[in-house]
Amino acid sequence: MATKTEATRETRTDSSAPGMRNQGLVSGQAHEFAIILPLKPGGGKRMRDRLTDSVTAGTQALDKMGTLHDLRFVLFDNDTRVIFASTYDGGFEQYIKDFATLVPDLIDNEFQDCEGYPGVRSPQIWNYIAQYQSEAIVFYSAYPNVTVKQVWKGQRVLKAFEELLDEASS
Amino acid sequence: MEAATTPTTMTKAIPTLEVSDIQATVLRPRPSPYRGEYLIVRVDDALQGREMLRRVIPHVAPADNWWAPTLPGWLAIAFTFQGLKALGVPKASLDSFPQEFREGMAARASILNDIGNNAPSNWEYPFGTTDMHVALAVYAKDEQSLETVLERARLSRQDLPKISVIYRLKFSELPGGRNPFGFKDGLHNPHVEGSGEDVHPGYGPAIKAGEFVMGYPDELGETATSPEPEVLRRNGTFLAFRKFHTRVAAFRKYLREQASSPEEEELIAAKMVGRWRSGAPLVLAPTSDDPSLGADLDRNNAFNYEDDMKGLKCPFSAHIRRVSPRDALRNEIVAVNLHQFLRRGTNYGQPLPEGELEEDDAERGGVFLLIGAHLKQQFEFVQSQWVTNGDFINQGTEQDPMIGNSQVDRTFTIPKLPIRRRLHGLPQFVDVRGGEYCFMPGIRALKWLASLATENTVTK
Repeated sequence: MATKTEATRETRTDSSAPGMRNQGLVSGQAHEFAIILPLKPGGGKRMRDRLTDSVTAGTQALDKMGTLHDLRFVLFDNDTRVIFASTYDGGFEQYIKDFATLVPDLIDNEFQDCEGYPGVRSPQIWNYIAQYQSEAIVFYSAYPNVTVKQVWKGQRVLKAFEELLDEASS
Repeated sequence: MEAATTPTTMTKAIPTLEVSDIQATVLRPRPSPYRGEYLIVRVDDALQGREMLRRVIPHVAPADNWWAPTLPGWLAIAFTFQGLKALGVPKASLDSFPQEFREGMAARASILNDIGNNAPSNWEYPFGTTDMHVALAVYAKDEQSLETVLERARLSRQDLPKISVIYRLKFSELPGGRNPFGFKDGLHNPHVEGSGEDVHPGYGPAIKAGEFVMGYPDELGETATSPEPEVLRRNGTFLAFRKFHTRVAAFRKYLREQASSPEEEELIAAKMVGRWRSGAPLVLAPTSDDPSLGADLDRNNAFNYEDDMKGLKCPFSAHIRRVSPRDALRNEIVAVNLHQFLRRGTNYGQPLPEGELEEDDAERGGVFLLIGAHLKQQFEFVQSQWVTNGDFINQGTEQDPMIGNSQVDRTFTIPKLPIRRRLHGLPQFVDVRGGEYCFMPGIRALKWLASLATENTVTK
């Protein structure tokens, strides 16, 4: 379990090489990310309707990223604010520009009702994230050194192994 | 290892970039055969530094006239962050450079996995110190021409006692255009849109010039807005200077231990590189070397991984498939064109005699200039993700078999039916001897630097 004091952190201040300024806590190679965002008037309802409608499409794209363990959107304060929280593999941050280039609509679809959201392709996106990101005080991962791809591979291998045993005993 | 492309003919396409202002080394391959020298200079007085620069500028080759038969050779020049400071570049300008450049390569060691043998504490002087200011590369076609260009470089610092050459390294082509491991090098580079270079099949779609030279739109449609001022950045770019030592005997010995025949040794070696020694790519020649294919510029890059998505011909972990995945990551959300750089490589030292399996303590290896406008998303990304990680290709923590430096059991996985083969205990084959980030300005920017006002001078 990582806490704020033992986590590795890197301060980034330059504008020319954008990245998350507050990295969040780290456990093994797993990272946590949490951001609390204000919503536009009526944005909570719109977000609820749109995201529940587009779960399947979103899931397919997230699967292709292959580095996000989980994510959640939680509306609160009478749907005036939202918490977005996620656990991701170390490589994820390195690929953010790739996602912004190849699936900007997916990301903008998720965040467009947030007050002041500049769009994932905007140079202002990093300032926006820095303004609202909140680092966890405690972060626990049950499998801190296993990546999403390793979990999937493990599942495939296990399934194949079980089938082999079934075949052998039939 | 992939490096600059060997030219066969002069370029015919019409360039749309300002090739008369961009340094030749950015856009053009080195000559073949070649010889030359790297010089690293420390500047202890800004005025003298700028005077040296004034004298050098006429000899710096632009990309439009770099290999005219009348010229004995060409000279390239680049500056570290400390070097720009030593020349008296104003603070506002210095502050506008990207963080990784300002910090320098040694400070990025944990990101680059420069640990263990490769740690900056083991680097040669002056790499990783604040003494490395200006890097010069002199390229020539023979020894006599080289001396001519070196003499010009020497005259440029005559009567300037505060200018010191603190490092020199001669380089030259090895027999057959091979690298020290015995593989044909200089086979592939991305194709820069509008550069006017020769394009052979398999060079892929042109990549927007802004990825490699500032002043033009990049793959995201953005044109660089820093460093400032505009005159300094236009037609300039960044490069990662990396000096490698190659452990050729360790490589040969490992192959001998893992294989039961000379043919199998060659196959394992090719699997690690992704090409046979001749340069023939595994995807096109999966079972044995094909020297005529390797030598054919119109065929030796005409491949992708569409028909090899299981890695049965070219392993996922093979060096060339990692550092330049072409279409291998087609099923992932990866914008491959954001992670390319130009490779300008040269070799130094004598080849280890054929068949020798014991180290002779001689220094031999390569120096690479890895050039691009976005060090972080290009060199640093490729080094930290594709060279020293295996997750993106479902290989866990496995690293590049040729240039990785894993501190635990180094493995190399060869996909095969019915069951893959995994090699263990790979020794480190390549050591990093040093490196630094440099800024390589255009010709106008060099003149701007040379004419900086005295009041900005930082004196020691």
